[in-house]
Amino acid sequence: MHPLRLFRSTPFRLALAFALLFVCAFLLSGFVTFNLIKKELEARYDSQTKELFQVISQTYGDSDIQDVIDATRMHIAATSNMRNIFLLQSANGAILAANIPALSVPDGWSIRQGADFGIRVGFAYRIYAGSVGPDRLIVGTNNEETNELQEIVVASFGWALLVVIALAIGAGALIASRAQRRLDAVRDTMGRVSHGELAARIPLLGKGDDLDLLSLDINVALERLSLAVESMRQVSTDIAHDLKTPLNHLRMTLEDAGLKQARGEPVGLELELAMTEAGQIDETFEALLRIAQIESGARKSGFCLIELSDVLPSLVDVYREVAEDSDQKFFFNSEVGESTFVSGDRELLTQMYSNLIENSIRHAGAGAGIRLSLFVQGDSVHTSLEDSGPGIPKDEHTNVFRRLYRLEKSRTTPGTGLGLSLVKAIADLHGAAIWLEDAAPGLRVVLAYPRAGK
Amino acid sequence: MRILLIEDDDRTAAYVMRGFDENGHQCEVLADGRDALYQATHESYDVLIVDRMLPGLDGLALVRALRAAGTMTPVLFLTAMSGLEDRVEGLDAGGDDYLAKPFAFSELLARVNALGRRPHVQVEVTKLRVHDLELDLIRRRVERKGQVIDLQPKEFKLLEYLMRNESRVVTRTMLLERVWGFNFDPKTSVVDTHISRLRAKIDKPFGIPLLHTVRNTGYSLHAPS
Repeated sequence: MHPLRLFRSTPFRLALAFALLFVCAFLLSGFVTFNLIKKELEARYDSQTKELFQVISQTYGDSDIQDVIDATRMHIAATSNMRNIFLLQSANGAILAANIPALSVPDGWSIRQGADFGIRVGFAYRIYAGSVGPDRLIVGTNNEETNELQEIVVASFGWALLVVIALAIGAGALIASRAQRRLDAVRDTMGRVSHGELAARIPLLGKGDDLDLLSLDINVALERLSLAVESMRQVSTDIAHDLKTPLNHLRMTLEDAGLKQARGEPVGLELELAMTEAGQIDETFEALLRIAQIESGARKSGFCLIELSDVLPSLVDVYREVAEDSDQKFFFNSEVGESTFVSGDRELLTQMYSNLIENSIRHAGAGAGIRLSLFVQGDSVHTSLEDSGPGIPKDEHTNVFRRLYRLEKSRTTPGTGLGLSLVKAIADLHGAAIWLEDAAPGLRVVLAYPRAGK
Repeated sequence: MRILLIEDDDRTAAYVMRGFDENGHQCEVLADGRDALYQATHESYDVLIVDRMLPGLDGLALVRALRAAGTMTPVLFLTAMSGLEDRVEGLDAGGDDYLAKPFAFSELLARVNALGRRPHVQVEVTKLRVHDLELDLIRRRVERKGQVIDLQPKEFKLLEYLMRNESRVVTRTMLLERVWGFNFDPKTSVVDTHISRLRAKIDKPFGIPLLHTVRNTGYSLHAPS
């Protein structure tokens, strides 16, 4: 990966931020530890210095300074490498015993550099001064060990810090580049989709982590999108094909009218035909728009409780006589003791049943019987419309709901091929399942609605 | 009748204007919604025909403004917006009728006639009478020449609507909307079937027909001239 891109990637930035945070925490804790150790060491050496002072000063008894001088000399002999300094001075300033030149310090604690009395350049001494009888004793300890320990601590912290930074950046880059690769896969897929390759999908690792879940969601959305686009493409192609024929007819009719006009013949018949043809084209568009509107679901906000046993009889009233005029019999069966409430839109339901009943009347043929039934089955309200006409071949049962789909035999009869698509759209809006059955002989259209309250 | 057409498509406007002219109505055209609001509130018209999509002020807002200003002239929306919701919106805004484009002029004429002659204050009548045919709204009874005629509920409603619109042409779609409550066009002859049944009951036994078919348009109920 290009370094600049690595730096821009969110996972790497996250890793880097965590590394920085970690280093800061490490430094802070190091600082605290270092100071604690330093303080503890100093306290320990101070108590040793004080102890030396006391051990020497306790040898002073009966105003005899000689024991103190001996004790001091003994300790001077025992100290090595000028670790401790001693200075015993009489009241007049004469040095009684010492391993350093004369030094003037106040009573109590003080700090002096070794260079001040010409030894051990680079080291500081913590000094305790006090009186022993009439004389004055100075005891000091250098910080060599403290310094060494401090150096060790600092050095080890330094190395650890280097390791931590290296690890944090390295691991961060590694994790980041792995996450980045997966994000790149998403970007790559989206890029391909936006260039029209709708079948592209994000590869999944199957780990079930959040990136996998996100990818899965995107894939599902892409699947739906590509299906929607495909069906839209299909529909627009179908519409274009389907409208070309009536437009062509219209054009031919108008051409005929033009020719007749040129010959001075009356053209009333052609014009009337042209009107009818234009009307059919309009009808197709109207039906398509209506289906689109219903599918948009906007109508759903106006849904209310509707009793089907109330809607259907009024439709039967409307169509019974129409059927009789076509030499058919129309029956209505309602075998319900229970409520038949569904949540819906009365106008749309009326239109849906009108479409279905009219289909039966038009296709069942003279002498046929048509039966509309209403019954309750568990949690759903069923209606079935059955006719004893020629029916529809079984392998066409699902096709007929497709937009602009028309059975071969009805290609030549008037109709938009949208009636059942509209029915399907309305049924879908109502959450109702719709299917066709062979009524042997004839066709049965069954609708099953979820039963609504009351 | 004096009609104001608010329509920004020149061809449609010319087509409608010529049609009204040939039928003896006076029709003025405006293309802008704001001009129309001024004109309709300052002049007196029998019917306003309003397109939904207009420059200046759209049709819905225009009609709302008119109604708010107290102008109660009947309004017919004439528009390509033919959706289920559009229609409801138009009527809610204060429109009295709604006709979707494309339309046949005869349909528009029939609807404008029905609107224009609608009495501004609805007089409650209990009996309707055309020639020797009488319909009693309270007793739900129909008689002709003193003979009681037995009608189905839908036939009664159909006859009532035809009698209320005596001598006017009512179209098939007007009947479907008002009598059947269908805002869509059924493919079968629902209207024709019921008209022929009605005719068999109110006309056939009495010799003189009152219910007439108007070719390519609809029906009209009137006394013999």
